[in-house]
Amino acid sequence: MLTKFETKSNRVKGLSFHSKRPWILASLHSGVIQLWDYRMGTLIDRFDEHDGPVRGVHFHQSQPLFVSGGDDYKIKVWNYKLHRCLFTLLGHLDYIRTVQFHHENPWIVSASDDQTIRIWNWQSRTCISVLTGHNHYVMCALFHPKEDLVVSASLDQTVRVWDIGSLKKKTVSPADDILRLSQMNADFFGGVDAVVKYVLEGHDRGVNWASFHPTLPLIVSGADDRQVKIWRMNDAKAWEVDTLRGHMNNVSCVLFHSRQDIIVSNSEDKSIRVWDATKRTGLQTFRREHDRFWILGCHPEMNLLAAGHDSGMIVFKLERERPAFSVSGDSLYFVKDRFLRFYEYSSQKDTQILPIRRPGSNSLNQGPRTLSYSPTENAILICSDVDGGSYELYIIPKESITRGDTVQDAKRGVGGSAVFVARNRFAVLEKSTNQVLVKNLKNEIVKKSALPVAADAIFYAGNLLCRAEDRVYIFDLQQRLVLGDLQASFVRYVVWSSDMESVALLSKHSIIIADKKLVHRCTLHETIRVKSGSWDDNGVFIYTTLTHIKYCLPNGDSGIIKTLDTPVYITKIFGNTIFCLDRDGKNRPIAIDSTEYIFKLSLLKKRYDHVMSMIRNSELCGQAMISYLQQKGFPEVALHFVKDERTRFNLALESGNIQIAVASAKEIDEKDHWYRLGVEALRQGNSGIVEYAYQRTKNFERLSFLYLITGNLDKLSKMMKIAEVKNDVMGQFHNALYLGDVQERIKILVNAGHLPLAYATAKTHGLNDVVEDLAEKLQGNIPNLPSRSSSLLIPPTPVLCGGDWPLLRVMKGIFEGGLDNVGKGGNEEYEDAGDADWGEDLDIVDGENIQNGDISMALDDEGAPEEENEEGGWDLEDLELPA
Amino acid sequence: MAMAPDMLFNLRNNFYLGAYQAAINNSDVPNLSEDDAIERDCLVYRSYIALGSYQLVINEVDSSAATPLQAVKLLALYLFSPDNKESTISSIREWLGDAAIGNNPILRLIAGTIFMHEQDYHEALKYTNDGRTMELYALNVHIFLKMNRSDCAEKQLRVMQQIDEDHTLTQLATAWVNLAVGGSKVQEAYLIFQDFSEKYQMTSLILNGKAVCCMHMGNFDEAESFLLEALNKDAKDQETLANLVVCCLHLGKHSARFLSQLKLSDPEHMLVKQGLSAEESFDRAIQTVG
Repeated sequence: MLTKFETKSNRVKGLSFHSKRPWILASLHSGVIQLWDYRMGTLIDRFDEHDGPVRGVHFHQSQPLFVSGGDDYKIKVWNYKLHRCLFTLLGHLDYIRTVQFHHENPWIVSASDDQTIRIWNWQSRTCISVLTGHNHYVMCALFHPKEDLVVSASLDQTVRVWDIGSLKKKTVSPADDILRLSQMNADFFGGVDAVVKYVLEGHDRGVNWASFHPTLPLIVSGADDRQVKIWRMNDAKAWEVDTLRGHMNNVSCVLFHSRQDIIVSNSEDKSIRVWDATKRTGLQTFRREHDRFWILGCHPEMNLLAAGHDSGMIVFKLERERPAFSVSGDSLYFVKDRFLRFYEYSSQKDTQILPIRRPGSNSLNQGPRTLSYSPTENAILICSDVDGGSYELYIIPKESITRGDTVQDAKRGVGGSAVFVARNRFAVLEKSTNQVLVKNLKNEIVKKSALPVAADAIFYAGNLLCRAEDRVYIFDLQQRLVLGDLQASFVRYVVWSSDMESVALLSKHSIIIADKKLVHRCTLHETIRVKSGSWDDNGVFIYTTLTHIKYCLPNGDSGIIKTLDTPVYITKIFGNTIFCLDRDGKNRPIAIDSTEYIFKLSLLKKRYDHVMSMIRNSELCGQAMISYLQQKGFPEVALHFVKDERTRFNLALESGNIQIAVASAKEIDEKDHWYRLGVEALRQGNSGIVEYAYQRTKNFERLSFLYLITGNLDKLSKMMKIAEVKNDVMGQFHNALYLGDVQERIKILVNAGHLPLAYATAKTHGLNDVVEDLAEKLQGNIPNLPSRSSSLLIPPTPVLCGGDWPLLRVMKGIFEGGLDNVGKGGNEEYEDAGDADWGEDLDIVDGENIQNGDISMALDDEGAPEEENEEGGWDLEDLELPA
Repeated sequence: MAMAPDMLFNLRNNFYLGAYQAAINNSDVPNLSEDDAIERDCLVYRSYIALGSYQLVINEVDSSAATPLQAVKLLALYLFSPDNKESTISSIREWLGDAAIGNNPILRLIAGTIFMHEQDYHEALKYTNDGRTMELYALNVHIFLKMNRSDCAEKQLRVMQQIDEDHTLTQLATAWVNLAVGGSKVQEAYLIFQDFSEKYQMTSLILNGKAVCCMHMGNFDEAESFLLEALNKDAKDQETLANLVVCCLHLGKHSARFLSQLKLSDPEHMLVKQGLSAEESFDRAIQTVG
């Protein structure tokens, strides 16, 4: 048994697989219905409206519906998308045992302890037929998957088959609307819509379950007499075919497997038994320690089963579905059914080569597990679990295809795993002695070599890759030396790159990439099962999980290439085509879009010319790619993908690309962006842009301070003028202070009414005539001033006047300008972030011809045009103190 | 019981396959037992001899060194000064007579090698015949083939195959015998060389082996490409040159330059000698006619 998923819960009494999604419903003895995603292993939803145990549950095949029936006599129809019960069907007078949707009519069949079976129309929400006849609890009632039949099992020890053909006729006949009511009445009084076709007697105790074969006219039933019985029917009669004995207690559920010729039954004896449906012999038994089994579910399309027991449920399958295969150059050898087949990638031709021995049918899961191929000798080793691990050696005849059915007399042997290690030598693991036997093509032992660490499987590795408990190691058979080892838990598959330099070790939920000496490169963890993988020519590992095709770059970055509906096994990759084997043993080429990972790989390998051409030629975009680029330190690359101005602005700032930032800021034209632009420009020392940004935000204080430190006195005095126009006394005073213009300061103070301060200022600076003037105005209220000689506060001359400062060196990305100049990149260059004359740059970015230092813009905005034409009229000398 | 790891495997393998410089470069194996160390030194010195650095070996091996090393030194002396070979041969005979060291396999191997150079095959077999080591068996195969006794060679080969069929020397010997026997066996010999070239470093020995197989099978074009590749590795290798001469003759290309190159690098080579004797006979024939 290959357990796929297990839950712990209250007793599970009902199960139903969804036909398309990886979902299963479990109805519990506690009254709760759980909806699980068995692939992800998560509880999606729970529905808790029944009062008491819910024994029956069933998904609708196509609608987002399911039906449940419980000990509260209620049948409820739910919509799982709306997360609620749509309506309740009332009518049964006792516990409801099972409920089931019809595969095409809008019907539900229910079985109840009230000894009846009812068929309901869930669209009209009425009971359309009551099937009476059983004289004890009806434990189960199910529609036939194709025909108009119902099978039921009852504690009255019978199994009954009902013909519901007339019921169908009635519903499909067109002119029955008027007659409907009368017919409904007829139904209630034992109408003739559903009649018992056969009564199957043979069980000695109550029958718990009966179900149809999906295609053949067979029924299987399980009863409290601990027997499973197979029945056959034709048009006229039905009869017992055989009895399967083995269960030690009441058989609770039994069904035919939908894809294999087997019967699965479970019982209160805490076991699940698998039987060969043709030979009617027991194949396998799975036991649980403490839990009695109550219910089985079979996936309608996939090879999956589920079983509910006392403390939860298990989802499992009986046989592995991965076809054994081996790739050699342009060819793929694989096993399908009982034939070895050959697939040529270049021609996509699939040929049958030779028949192989039928896997032992006295037990399950004995099919070929691995193949190993020796091209020179055209020999193939097929390993399976037969006899606790064994191999068969076939030589492919030179005349290639043998159409016959005669199985070649293959050479056989017992051994954990067998793999070719040289042209005409293969190694077989002998687990009991922990030895590797090297054999030749005659199946004779050539050499024995003991392994240093106990191994339970061997793989090809040029030498030999051995899997021990918690590690793998490479063992050289000739040197008898361990060449490398690596911690890795239970590696299931080993995939070498074509140059044998890199290896991927696939475990259940992880992938380890290592080099040929098993030096660890990276580990990837997946939440769902890893299925297969292969290396592409660029050294990218492409792998599949249950649900996706993904890639893994040499640095361990991974991502999704494509989602999958059904699992596939990658065999080989040619460029953008992935060749896969599916579970039916068909070869499928899948075309993928490799742009994303090739792009990331080029970035990683610093192949910037590739990156550049990809940026130009392909539609690579999306938020994910942008944040990847940002995260990996390539904001300047991300810049090329973005159309959104805000993102563009942010990326431009991050990569220090002032020009683009300015252009974006103009587009956005928001205060915050101008401010951030100013900060970045200041950091780079691009004072032109700083000034521009301050101007745009009308941040006069900062602007003044900027003029002060750049020594731009002309503009500073203009700033003072602006402040005056704006009636900003404080600003005016600041500017005057920066300019060292005492008269102006006094004037401002006087105008503001701060006469004592004006006096103090004038006095300190020894402007005696003004002092007198002010003293007069103060009328004796003259402040006392410390008699200290003072000097005029004149700001020091800046080190550099005008223009930009020496600019901060911004790392110019390889991509800067590279978009126009592909192939030039390769080394990172350092360059000044911009030209000293920012006005020119600005011309480039906006073409609007804003003159450097054209302060009038700011003035324009203020609506104070009178001084506009008086450029240069702001010298100190021209200022007169108001009288 | 796990057998002890074979530390000298790579070294030996390189030596057998003619990757002499690689053998020397990778000879620094740590934690060797005393016997292994001597074997290592032997292999290294024999590699130097194979590369023609006789003087180095003669200088480095002093009189206190172990018998096998002394034997290797004798080989170096023999090859270094052909003029004094009489004294070398007499001292080797003397050593072989000494009961204490006479049975040393390396000594016997060297003796076999020297007598083979002397083309005294019977004398060589006297010392190498009992075999006991893979190298001695392989030398036996070689000598038998030189004597055109492929039946005896096959017998020796079977002994080797029983001991270790996958041993490099067994494989090499198999290839030689297959080549000597010819016919369909050549394909097998080719596969052996092919295996070597896939598994190990490509050497001119392997390339020549492949080329000879190709020539036997009539693929002269392919043979030529292998030989030219070998010539790239060592432009003065006599075997390569000799094979190239043959190959070019079959392809109808000019072989004169290769032949004169061969004459320069090894005037004693069989091809040169045979060519000369053929010329002489031809001259004589003309004279008699004339």
